Order: sequence, then C-alpha cells, then structure tokens
Amino acid sequence: MPIDGSDNAILVVNDIVVRFETAEGPITAVDDVSFTVRPGEFLSVIGPSGCGKSTLFNVIGGLLDQHQGAVRVGGETVDGPHKSIGMVFQEESTFPWRNVTDNVAFPLELIGMPREKRIERARHFIKLVGLEGFENRYPGELSGGMRQRVSLARTLASEPKILLMDEPFAALDEQTRLLLGDKVLQIQQELQQTTLLITHNITEAVQMSDRILVMTYRPGKVKRIVEIDLPRPRTSEIVTSAAFGRYVAEIWNDLRVEASRGMRDEEQHALHPRGAGA
Amino acid sequence: MAETGRLRQAARPAPLIGPVTLLRVAIVLALLASWEFLARSGWLYRDVVPSLLSIARATADLLTHGQYYYNLGVTAGEIAIGLLIGGGGGLVVGILLGGSRFLSKAFEPYLYYLGPTPKIIFLPIAIMWFGVDTPSKIAIGTFSCFFPIALNVAAGMRQIDRVLIRVGRSFRATSLQMVLKIYLPAMRHPIINGVRLGFGFALIGTLLAETRFSNKGVGFQIMQADSTFDMPHMYAMLVVLFVLAIGANALIGRLGGLDQIKRS
Amino acid sequence: MTDAAARIPAGARFDFWPRLFGLVTICAALLVAEFVIRGGLINRFIVPPPSEVIQALYRVVVQEHVFRRFLATAAECLIAGSMLTLVGVATGVAMHRYKLLQQACETWVASIAAAPLVIMYPLFLVVFGRNALTIIMMGFIAGLPPAILKTIEGLAATRKVLVNVGKSFKLTGPQQFWKILFPAALPTIFVGVRLGLIFALINVVGTEFLISYGGLGALIADLAERYDLAGTYAAICFVILVSVLCFVLLEKIERWLRPVD
Repeated sequence: MPIDGSDNAILVVNDIVVRFETAEGPITAVDDVSFTVRPGEFLSVIGPSGCGKSTLFNVIGGLLDQHQGAVRVGGETVDGPHKSIGMVFQEESTFPWRNVTDNVAFPLELIGMPREKRIERARHFIKLVGLEGFENRYPGELSGGMRQRVSLARTLASEPKILLMDEPFAALDEQTRLLLGDKVLQIQQELQQTTLLITHNITEAVQMSDRILVMTYRPGKVKRIVEIDLPRPRTSEIVTSAAFGRYVAEIWNDLRVEASRGMRDEEQHALHPRGAGA
Repeated sequence: MAETGRLRQAARPAPLIGPVTLLRVAIVLALLASWEFLARSGWLYRDVVPSLLSIARATADLLTHGQYYYNLGVTAGEIAIGLLIGGGGGLVVGILLGGSRFLSKAFEPYLYYLGPTPKIIFLPIAIMWFGVDTPSKIAIGTFSCFFPIALNVAAGMRQIDRVLIRVGRSFRATSLQMVLKIYLPAMRHPIINGVRLGFGFALIGTLLAETRFSNKGVGFQIMQADSTFDMPHMYAMLVVLFVLAIGANALIGRLGGLDQIKRS
Repeated sequence: MTDAAARIPAGARFDFWPRLFGLVTICAALLVAEFVIRGGLINRFIVPPPSEVIQALYRVVVQEHVFRRFLATAAECLIAGSMLTLVGVATGVAMHRYKLLQQACETWVASIAAAPLVIMYPLFLVVFGRNALTIIMMGFIAGLPPAILKTIEGLAATRKVLVNVGKSFKLTGPQQFWKILFPAALPTIFVGVRLGLIFALINVVGTEFLISYGGLGALIADLAERYDLAGTYAAICFVILVSVLCFVLLEKIERWLRPVD
C-alpha cells in the first residue's frame, strides 16, 4: 500500500509484518501494513477480531519487538516504548493503590518532576477529562468509565506527541461510550492531539476520526483507507446525520466479509482443536 | 422538635449485648469451668492442670518481675532480626523467581518442598556454625521465615495484573522504578500474608531453638519452668506468649490493610 | 478429562529444560562446596563435604534403619493430616452453616493459627505420654486452624449467581450444599488442607526432634548428639523426602477430585 503525504507525517508505519509461532504452526498476524499519520490527525484502525489490530498497537507502542518493517516517530525509529508515544490500554489499568492524582502524576513521577509541580500538572489533566473533585478518590470508588478517564488523563499527562489507544471503551456500555467519545473528541480538538485509535466499533470510528483504516481478517492487511468528511467540531449528535449513516454502511460493507471469515475460522478451530489446547 | 424528642424517648436503643457476645461469654465460661473442674478432680498428675487462681497469681508474679521482660526483649530482638534478614532475602528471591518462568521452574520446587520441613532440625548445624548463643537462634528464625515469604512473593509476582506491568513499560520505567512503584504495591496482600506466616514460623523456630542450649529468652524460661515442674508459671508464660503472638499477628495484618485500597 | 491429559505432557516438555538447569546448578554448587571444604577453606567438622553426606546416606539407611523411621514419620504425618482434614473441613462446614458459631469463633480460630502451639509440647508429653500419640496430636492441633478457616472462606466465596441457579432449580438445603457450595469451595479447601499439612509436618518432625522419640526427627536429634554431622545432613534429606511424598500425594488426590484445571 503506497504511503501518502509522508513529508508531513509525524508517525510513519512502514511494511510491518508480524509472525507468531503457535502450537498450530506459524501464523501471520499482520502482513505488510503501511500508513502514515499527520500531526493533529485522528486516525482509527478498524477491523474484526483476529485482524491483528492489537498486535499492531503493541508494535507501534514499542512493546513488541519481533517484527519486520519499521515504525518512525518524528524521524526516529521506534525501538521499545518511545517517549513521544503515549498508550491507553483496553483493560482496567489504573493503579488501585494510588488515588486519582497519584495515578495521573505517575509518568511525571518517573521522570523526577518535583512533587508540587506534578500535582499541579496532574490536576490540570484531571480537570481536562472532567474528573474535577475526584482528585483524592481511589479507583475502587469510581465507575468503569471514570477509571478509563483516569487512565486517559495519566497518559495525556506525559504530553505525548502521539496518543495510541487500544479499544479503550470496549468494556463500557454504549451510552457511556458515546459520551466519553465526546469527551475524547473535545480534548483532542482542544489539544490538537495526534491520535491513533484501535477499535472494532464502527460508530465510534466514524464519530471520532479524520481517516479510517479498514483491516482484513488474519493475516491483517490494509483493505481500505476512508476519508471521513464530516464537519468539525463534532459531537455525539453527529451519529444521527445521514452522512454518518452512509459512512457506517460503507465501512460495514467492507468489514462484513472479513468478520464472517473470522467467525467461520473460529468455529473451525473450536470443532477441530489442534495442538495442546488454547 | 421538642415534641418529637419527647415522643422518641419511648424507642429503646439496640441491645448492647448481642447473641454473638453471649455465645462467646458462654464458651469462655464453659472452658474455664471445665478447666477448674479438671484441676480439682485429681485425675491428672498434680499440677498438670493447676487451678485458675494459681495461674493468675503466677501471671501477676511474672509480669511484675524484670526477668520476664529481659527474656522477652531477647526473644523479640532475635525474631526481629530474623524477620529482617529472612524477609529481605525472601523478598528478593521471590521477586527473582516470580519474574522469570524459567528460574521459577528451575528452583521454586526446591523451596516448595524444603518449606514444610521443621527448621528446628537444623539447630545442631546452626550451633556448629554460629555457636551456642543468640546468633544460632537468629539463624533458625531467619531460615524459618525465608521460605513462606519467598514462596508467597513469587506467587504474588505471577498474580500481578499484567496490564499494570505494561503501563509501567509504556512509560519507560526503569527496573528499579518497576519494582518499587509497581511490583511491590501490587503485591502488598501476598507480601503481608507471607510476612504473617513468616512471623509465625520465625516465632516457633526461635522459641524452640531457645529451649536447647540456652540461658536466656522466653523459650529458655518456659523450659526452666517445665524442668522444675513449676506448672503455674509455665502456663502463665504460655498465656502471655500466646496473647503477644496473636497481637503481633493482628498488628501485621492491620498494617497491611492500613492503606484504604479498594478495588471494585 | 482429555483436555487435562493432553495438557500435562505439553507442560512437561517445557519444564524439562528449566528443571535440568536447576538440577545442574545445584549439583555444580555442591561440587564447588566439595572442593572448598576439602581445600580447608571451610571447616569440615562444621560442614562436611557433600561426598561424606552421600556416604552417610548409605550408612544411615543400613545402620540406623532409616526406612523404619521414615515410615514412622510418614505415618504420623498422614494420620495427623487425615485427622485435620476431616475435623477441620467438618468444623468449617458447621461454622458456615451456623452463622452465629462463625461470628463468635472465627477470629478465635484465626488467633490459634497465629499462636506458637508447639511450645506446649512439654504439656502434651505429660498428658499423652512419650509416644506417637503426643506427636500426632501436636501435628493435628497445629494444622487444624488453616483447614477450618479456608473451608469457611471457600464456602462463603461461592459466587452468588451459582447459589441463585441452585435456588431457581428448587434444590433442597443438602442438595444445594453438596452439588453447588462444596464443589465450588473445593479449590480453597485444598489450599487450607495444604497449609494445615505444612503445619502438621513441621510439628510432627519438630516434636519428634524435641522429645527424641519417633521417626526421623528423633533420629536427627540422636545423630546430632553423637556429633555425626554427615549423618544429620543425610537424615534431613529423608525428612525432605517425607515432605515430597505428602505433597505429591495431596496433589494426586486433588487431581482426582478436580480433574479440570
């Protein structure tokens, strides 16, 4: 897939191939994926389960070493977690033993920022995600959506050039997700934060993105890149517009084939498991 | 407002003494009564079960003489040092083994099967190595508490929520930062449980070591009472010892829960 | 059943290299110790060289009738272990069933677990006599509290939804217990039994050592008195063997009762 507009790109993903050895033999999770992200852009990567998008997330984030191809941030090759990339994970990732402020201040603590300064900085981001007033609460006292906001604030506090998120709202109910999506959009627009979102949710992708990268089922390749021409600034109300519906239909058209392949594949596996168990 | 106050006076507050307390009091009274009955029955050899009064008197006697406190201090010091060395070592080994599947499979079985052996059997060896005095007792205490702490910490490492480790790595924490800011806090429950168990074993090991070749410590004093068949004093020491041990255990547990960490 | 059976060989395959590495490392350490001790850097009368210990193993088997002693200790452990399992689990079930009893006594049982009961051995001696009964009773009493506590914990931690499933099928009290609560609690109960067995083992061998009667513990006390250090080390190896035996047995029982995971 040719790389477009690369001179302006802040993130360059180049010919990534990831292969794993499993009990059933080698599988190719990601096959020759290339794309770029422009500064301030919101790019979503969407695909069915098993398309390798989480693998891609780990490669770009520097948590997965064994791959071919290269990822470059602002010209520098990614080799292990890069200081310009901030990651938000899918699972619950707040530290239960720290309160909200200490959670958000964590990256600042690691680089040795003095206490008063990091509390002040943390407070700013806590306010940004809308959790003002909860500074001294513990994650155990918060709802799932609020905890994800804490994780987001924590990553934003490290002021990354690129925000990399792996299905951060997958565990939330639809209404919470839509409203949180609003919040994220608002923050992204305010900070002009370059964002790369991995998701399986079409509505979420179209709601938030400038461009959407549709992936095939395993081995994951780039099937299509869709430009989303919906006006900015956007809110969750956009989901009711006709143009929105057309984009969703278009992307589902592409995805449906891949998702069905994935489902058939899983059923095959469940019927005839090879090797020593899952 | 005044009227409602007067009207409310009719309602009684909840009973101060609930059924649980009643049951407990009943059990305690029954136990004390059967004890006293046994003591006076003469079934068992004289003084094996001394009367409650004699035990009470012996306890008072014990607590008002300095010698007990001296011995208590000796034993407490031995246990403290043992816990420090054994616990520290156990923590390090636990982190190393828990952090590596390979090392864990290579060496953890040895810890697992060596753990349930009574460390008191190493006393002759400890005496040969460290002499008859305090160091050998500390050695036994150290050896006793090392295993439960190491095994608990290793298991605790494996139970840490993997995503928390990925968070640390994504923020490029150094190894030391990972250990201090992520591994240890995430393992606070297994660590505290390991320390409780380790304290119990160190206590047992140290006490038993003091029963042989010793001239100080609580274990020694208990043996002294036994060899002179001074049963009331022996029971008195046992009672005080048990109360202190239970108290220390509760304290450690409380320390572990002092942080109001709540996870949904 | 087939899943578990299929899983075990695969695990063994991966375990071989680390286990070998561990064994080789330990043997290497023993070899180093051998040379260091023979070289005189460490006093051989305080730490006998491993070769002497190995020779002592043979001597201990033949001359000291270690096998008979091994059986004595193992029997005491197994008896104490069975007693604490039966009484402990039964008590735990009773305390779970009668909430008042649990509320009154649970913290007391936890306290007993924290107390160094073994220091009472002179009293047990006087009450039960200088025989195997004393040893077994010490093991039994020391191992009882964890079994009770973990049984209560396991039964209480049954997921509410499973209890509701039982209710929705209109199960009677005993049915609810045997078909839902007890199986769900088994993993935790086994943890308690294992912990109780550890305490029992420690107290059995420890008491044998202290009163110089019985199996391996008494043997070690004997050998130590004769300053036969190599023999002492060798006898300790047999104690470890008892520990291995008991826990492998427990694992087999657990695997039989709970074939999955």
